Amino acid sequence: MQVVSAVGEAFNNIVLHGYAGRKEGSIDLRIQTHRGHIQIELRDWGSGFDPTEVPAPAFDTLPESGLGLFIMQSFMEMVYRAGRPNLLTLSKRYVERPSAPRKAGGAT
Amino acid sequence: MKFAISATNGVTHLSIEGELDAVSVSDLRPDLEKLVKSHPTLVEVDLSSLRMVDSSGVGALVSLYKRVRAQGGSVVIKGLRDQPLAIFRLLRLDRVMLNGEARTPPTPPPAKPSKSRH
Repeated sequence: MQVVSAVGEAFNNIVLHGYAGRKEGSIDLRIQTHRGHIQIELRDWGSGFDPTEVPAPAFDTLPESGLGLFIMQSFMEMVYRAGRPNLLTLSKRYVERPSAPRKAGGAT
Repeated sequence: MKFAISATNGVTHLSIEGELDAVSVSDLRPDLEKLVKSHPTLVEVDLSSLRMVDSSGVGALVSLYKRVRAQGGSVVIKGLRDQPLAIFRLLRLDRVMLNGEARTPPTPPPAKPSKSRH
């Protein structure tokens, strides 16, 4: 749930802000999983930004915008590098669940 | 995303189902605008069938909440669960907007002492 939320926010941020005012643009999405670790890279060729300059939401004022970056950084580890392309990396460790045991007898 | 707006006995009911995100919220916004302009006294928002919400969807609900209250009305949000509830808690909206519902994780009632057999 947290990964889906964070990646959704990242994707929408690129569409709404990185490619603002453009009719089309490309997003390269790569997902890697390995032993309880998931890493998602999003590359885009739109306008970049500096995450350190985005103020944290002022929750006391019930903010209506600027929440996406907070959701991303709360749910996953985020690294951003502006450039050509911009590269946003989201990663997270998770506990692997054992796969469901097979039914006795197997396929016939 | 599906939504329905109705009014009965002075209460405006808004129910939202499915996924309320940056794309689908544009379908909802014009009707929210009409709803606010009708100066409702009480808006009950049923989110029990809302499966996913993102920051854009939250923004629309916060906007509704703030504008109705600024006009002297009330907004009650009901039925939040799963991912939408987690987002509301993360963004600390549960303290303000949920009117006591689902502010904190539900705790089971204390177990009654079991009667011993004799």
